[in-house]
Amino acid sequence: MTNNLKVLRAIKNISQEELAKQISVSRQTINAMEKGKYVPSTVLALKLARYFKTSIEDVFSLENTD
Amino acid sequence: MKTLFLFPNKFKTIGWILFVPAIMLTIIISILEINTDEILVINVVSILETSISLKSSFFSIIKNGVVDEILTITMIIGGLLIGFSKLKNEDEYISKIRYESLVWATYLNYAIILFLTVFMYGMVYLNVLFYNMFTLLLFFIIRFHYMIYKLNKSSNDDE
Repeated sequence: MTNNLKVLRAIKNISQEELAKQISVSRQTINAMEKGKYVPSTVLALKLARYFKTSIEDVFSLENTD
Repeated sequence: MKTLFLFPNKFKTIGWILFVPAIMLTIIISILEINTDEILVINVVSILETSISLKSSFFSIIKNGVVDEILTITMIIGGLLIGFSKLKNEDEYISKIRYESLVWATYLNYAIILFLTVFMYGMVYLNVLFYNMFTLLLFFIIRFHYMIYKLNKSSNDDE
């Protein structure tokens, strides 16, 4: 699964730290998701989509290997 | 995040305070082969006591040096508190790391036991079983904190 969290974050001009605080996770989790090392739970994915005021498919997308 | 079966963060400090002195003392006692049987001898309730020379007894009050019992209890409770207290920033990713560390530690622990079962015989094997009371917790604590350390390092490097 890939995501464009980094892009969305850049558009909003918000740091990992700030985003982490907004959706109440650790900054390490945001970092790991951006690197593709961690696939978030559905709850966290929905929270991210809500924060960026977009749909979940605009944040995350499946890859061929999934 | 809701977490099942984890202690609040402040218990972690208590865990370290209990665990570190207890494990140091245990290592010192076993390396120097100090006999603690005559220290802190008190009456204890024994559900079952067996010995080679005497008959075994059920539900009796016996005299026993309690240094080893105190160290064992302190180490296990301390270890559980260190391993299973929430981190300050506990979230689902940390929980995943905790889970993976526990799986890793369990495999390592039993791999060592399997190896020693095949290659160690006699009284020394009893030592293997004795140390095994703590090794799973110890491996888990080391692995978990190492992974968290690596995580913090890699996400700080990105800044």
